[in-house]
Amino acid sequence: MTLAIQGIGLTRRFGGFTALDNVDIAIRQGEIRGLIGPNGAGKSTLIDVLSGRARNPGGQVLLNGVDVSRLTPQQRRKRGMARSFQRTNIFPELSVEQQLRIASWAVEDADTDEVMDELDLRALADRPAAEISYGDQRRLDLALALVGRPRVLLLDEPAAGLTMEESLDLARILRDLANRWGVTVLLVEHDMQVVFSICDQITVLHLGRSLSEGSCAEVRANPTVIAAYLGTEA
Amino acid sequence: MTVAAGDVAPRVKTRRGTPLLLVLGVAALVAGFTLPWIAPSKVAMSLMAQSLFDALLATSVGFLVRQNGRVSFGQAAFFGLGGYVFAILVARSLVTPEVALVLALAVPTLVAFLFGLVVARVTGVAHAMLTLAIGQALYEIAFRWRELAKGDDGMSFDLPARLFGLPTRGLQDPAVMVVLAWSILVVALLGLKLFSQSRTGQIAAAIRDNEERARFIGFSTTLPRALVYAIAALIAAIAGTLQATYNGYIAPQMFHWSLSGAALVMAIVGGAKFIVGPAIGAIVLFYIKDLAGQFAEYWPAIVGTVLVVVTLVMPEGIVGLIKRIGGLGQRR
Repeated sequence: MTLAIQGIGLTRRFGGFTALDNVDIAIRQGEIRGLIGPNGAGKSTLIDVLSGRARNPGGQVLLNGVDVSRLTPQQRRKRGMARSFQRTNIFPELSVEQQLRIASWAVEDADTDEVMDELDLRALADRPAAEISYGDQRRLDLALALVGRPRVLLLDEPAAGLTMEESLDLARILRDLANRWGVTVLLVEHDMQVVFSICDQITVLHLGRSLSEGSCAEVRANPTVIAAYLGTEA
Repeated sequence: MTVAAGDVAPRVKTRRGTPLLLVLGVAALVAGFTLPWIAPSKVAMSLMAQSLFDALLATSVGFLVRQNGRVSFGQAAFFGLGGYVFAILVARSLVTPEVALVLALAVPTLVAFLFGLVVARVTGVAHAMLTLAIGQALYEIAFRWRELAKGDDGMSFDLPARLFGLPTRGLQDPAVMVVLAWSILVVALLGLKLFSQSRTGQIAAAIRDNEERARFIGFSTTLPRALVYAIAALIAAIAGTLQATYNGYIAPQMFHWSLSGAALVMAIVGGAKFIVGPAIGAIVLFYIKDLAGQFAEYWPAIVGTVLVVVTLVMPEGIVGLIKRIGGLGQRR
């Protein structure tokens, strides 16, 4: 089993509060891993720790077996780890094409045409990002992370604020890219329809700890997960 | 959701505008030689030269705003530093005039680069206060340290007879200085435009827009910012050195925050979002001030009124307004 990304004993404390408590996670190459749990479970914190956004976390992060725990976010990006953010995080004053081109410079002048086409942004190429719709901005956010075909993609609620149709479109794109590009995805998402439609495995976090891990069917049937997060409707 | 490549061809941005820019630059340089004939008197020519020094300083302040998204209340620090380094080294014959000139430009540039490395992530009021502190610290040193350059009296100095083999007499002749300052301003504006179109310039603009995102797409966000500080300081140092050379005199007021503040006002009035905006703002404000000379004691009130009007009516300054009007015209 080739592990694309692995977190060992990941811990993150804010003063006396432990947001992430000794969490282990291991994701295989090409896998889409869902990361679910109630608000405050530590999902975004886990992505922050893996991506290098969190300062001085405990534990170890391995990218393709290499310890990247001490690397900066930019160094991790150059080694193939990209992320998106819960809040849309783009360059509002730059045109869509310009910001994708700039993003490509950080990864050896990668091709921006493919992401523009994959995410249907070509018609918006000349528009400043601040002027495009929210749904388009979310796709641009994802496109910025996808430039250079990262090996590992950490996505923090990419479907937040999207319509049902847009969310399912996004899910299809992610599944397609995981299959064709072999990109490994860690997906934080509250939309269970999106999660269950594309994820190979799911990790459930609760109060900063790993509550359960397994296939969609296993997680759905887990009584502890149902009680803590999914409820009886799932 | 995928579309075939080429369905809608994007306008690919290249440097195809650069030749036009260079043609305009050469035309502006040539036009600069007519300035001594346009000015009706030596006094007018001298005022013109002074307005061009202001234009360079305002360009420096505006470039920081445009490229780094940072407001500086201390850009006069680098203006003064340029003038002081040149004047002191020349007056005391510590090095050759040529080395003095190089150091007058290099020292402020290096100081600003190091400053930029430290404060690159400081934003808003804290950044403004830090820049103010640097400027005022240097002002106080120049003001109190009499042995350095006669403290608050300021110091006159004689220009060396030759600089790079050329006679320096003309540098204190307004007809020569106005052409020289204009030429330097044109070259500086061209250089800044080319920088903003370069990779580093575009990365700096991306960092200005969203620093966190820039880091997570793989860029160091400190170096490009520090570079912008350094370039801005170089422009300010050129202005300070020119002024010191022209007047043969330096004084602590060259560092004072009021000069930095005035340059910021000029940049805002002209349009800090545009490379050429601050220079236009500086020249316009300089001549409004000159025209309002008979109301000299009310000058601050006039500047205040102009600033209020510009902020309300032209939030993007004179150049922004011209562009907006031009855009409306095109749409019609």
